[in-house]
Amino acid sequence: MKHEHKFLSNQQQEQAAEAQTAKTTAKEFASVEELLRHDAAQTTVPPEIAQRLRHSALEIGAPKRPWWRKLLD
Amino acid sequence: MKAPCAGTECLEAAEPRVLSPEFSELYDQHSRAIYYLALRYLGDPQKAEDATHDVFLKALRKLGQFRGEASARTWLYRIAINHCHNLRQTWHDRHIIPDSDSAVWETASAGESPLRILETKELGDRIQRTLDRLPAEYRLLLLLVSDEKLSYEQVGALTGQSDDAVRGKVHRARKAFAALFAKSE
Repeated sequence: MKHEHKFLSNQQQEQAAEAQTAKTTAKEFASVEELLRHDAAQTTVPPEIAQRLRHSALEIGAPKRPWWRKLLD
Repeated sequence: MKAPCAGTECLEAAEPRVLSPEFSELYDQHSRAIYYLALRYLGDPQKAEDATHDVFLKALRKLGQFRGEASARTWLYRIAINHCHNLRQTWHDRHIIPDSDSAVWETASAGESPLRILETKELGDRIQRTLDRLPAEYRLLLLLVSDEKLSYEQVGALTGQSDDAVRGKVHRARKAFAALFAKSE
């Protein structure tokens, strides 16, 4: 019944909101690969890796250019 | 608070002369795939971070030897797989025991069914727990075939087997994953 909604207690409203949230975040994956692709897309590469690489690169010096790149230039 | 940088922004902002544009592009395009493989294969964010750093450092050192015959993604995956194998041999196999109850998932039929799940913060943990219970080979194959940029033939080349063998094992790995994932709820 329409008018019932406004008589819901705060707790009931919270439960209803949680249930609604759960519904909207349900996902269906057609395969394991799709699930893993979704997981990979949600994964953030820590920025520390790039910073550490920069320090490491400074220690080993500038990288050599591939020989085939020189031919293309 | 300093805003975190991402991808090549960190590399270029730091010291552009040290890293070539080719390498920065390489990192930008493939760091997520390599980090994700290391994260889910090793099951430890800190070890994955170290491994990703080491893989790209090796790539930086060997950039002159990369002839462009294989795709850059395949080349990096090869370095990453070797690196992760070496790490696992030293510590992982002694600590992580795959699920011995293989009968549960060898006979399961859930592999071809859609996986309906609620997206929660714990999803990544649940995926990790499931992968940890799979044999290492299944775990690696699933992670590789889930990369759309790799063909079965390339996955076979990376893991030293035919693409038909990869297909067969991936089929069993899918069933195993789905059965264990359902049990992990």
